[in-house]
Amino acid sequence: MRAMADAPQQVDSAVPTGGGHPPGTGIYLHELTKVFPIGKDTVTALDRVNLDEADGAFVTLLGPSGCGKSTILRILADLEQPTSGSALVHGEAPALARKRHEVGIAFQDAALLPWRNVTANVKLPLEVSGVSVGQQAVADLLKLVGLESFAKARPAQLSGGMRQRVAIARALVVEPKILLLDEPFGALDEMTRQRLNLELQRIWTERATTTLLVTHSISEAAFLSDTVAVMSPRPGRITAMVDIDLPRPRTPAMLRSEEFHQICDNLSDLLFSGGDADLS
Amino acid sequence: MPHWLPGVLGAVGLLVVWQVVGMTIFKENGAVPPPTAILQQMQVDGFTFYWNNLSQTLKEAGQGWLWGNALAIVLAIAFVQIPLLERGLLRLAVASYCLPIIALGPILTILFSGDTPKVILAALSVFFTTLIAMLVGLRSADRTSLEVVRSYGGTTWTQLRKVRLTASLPALFAGLRIAAPAALLGALIGEYMGAERGLGVAMINSQQSLQIERTWGIALVATAAAGIAYGLTALVGRLLTPWAPRLKRSRR
Repeated sequence: MRAMADAPQQVDSAVPTGGGHPPGTGIYLHELTKVFPIGKDTVTALDRVNLDEADGAFVTLLGPSGCGKSTILRILADLEQPTSGSALVHGEAPALARKRHEVGIAFQDAALLPWRNVTANVKLPLEVSGVSVGQQAVADLLKLVGLESFAKARPAQLSGGMRQRVAIARALVVEPKILLLDEPFGALDEMTRQRLNLELQRIWTERATTTLLVTHSISEAAFLSDTVAVMSPRPGRITAMVDIDLPRPRTPAMLRSEEFHQICDNLSDLLFSGGDADLS
Repeated sequence: MPHWLPGVLGAVGLLVVWQVVGMTIFKENGAVPPPTAILQQMQVDGFTFYWNNLSQTLKEAGQGWLWGNALAIVLAIAFVQIPLLERGLLRLAVASYCLPIIALGPILTILFSGDTPKVILAALSVFFTTLIAMLVGLRSADRTSLEVVRSYGGTTWTQLRKVRLTASLPALFAGLRIAAPAALLGALIGEYMGAERGLGVAMINSQQSLQIERTWGIALVATAAAGIAYGLTALVGRLLTPWAPRLKRSRR
């Protein structure tokens, strides 16, 4: 049963937010469409998606699997090319931003190189990009993610949560202008996930980098974001934009507040009304 | 029970059976002499006889091993970096594998002189297995790690240097392990076609002069050399990839 028309804050394919900032300063998507060929058929992963967020904003794409949220992130990372429409990162094409080493990225799989220790893994983007930040910066970063005593450990000796912290540190080491996080805590248990969300929030507050988070966790989206873009699958569309007005820094106590629950309920309503029947 | 004990027991058991069979069933025609008789013959022939032949064979096998593997590794890298190349050349590589090298031997002996035909045969014996092992290894690199490198402005060559080459080592060494005995076999076959020295020609000579114990002795030396080469490659592979997951022996 589809109930899209009932969704509050419903947006169609027009530019969804005003926000009072000049367009294209942060993440900017215009009529972004991606069609994948599957055998002789095609699947529309993204259908004319528009998004316009200010520099320094924390934006979350929230939706069920198959809604194309990761595809948006991959286009912004220049790992996929759009079929039509355009995507800009701080006014630049993703390919240019990538070549200028302005992108930090972390995936659900930490993808650490097993033959490198923690420090060497964090330094990988520096070697690839030729950017140099000095030994102290790497040490500071490990401290920031709480791994200073594991600098020489191999990935195989770390827990899943610790590996993701390394991945986050690796994403931050080039001091990116934009941070792309593709369900970075998706494979972790709920307790570790909550703890890492708190830390990510703290790290993000310190750096205030434009961030795009992709997740299917409602509370994660509500806790971390300035703005949540709710998506629906087949074809992937943004069905609603929700501004999260909780003050920063956000604390664990907020997770129990009435306000937070209301935001989560609202997001969950939007998710279940905008998507396919198989969600409900 | 230590984990090496079953292996040692098996080897000792085999030797005992061999000894008994050699002293009973094959006593009359002597086709399978008992191990003690072979060792006696080896003592009579002396270390120098075996070493002269073995060193020659090892030289050919070693050169072939180097050339064949080097070519295979370079080609595998080229295939992964330039996919168009693979479509054109992989079939040629498959053909090189399908070609029975025993049929190629006489042709090479006509074309080249000295050690060259043996080196080529040894190289051909290792080329394809190493090519496939290296291809599998390079392709086994974690996809997300490759994307991480790309996201930071890396090219396919950066991906090769930072991720693929190291990730390929476990698979490469699985191939190189097989390549070591294979190179020896290729050199031996080359020597069958005619040579001054070498285990292959020594084996043919002793077989034709009905020196059964010596024929067996040479076979044993060749087997030992191949086994040692296999073991050494495995050891080097293990030392180079301490991070690679290993198959653990299941224990009851």
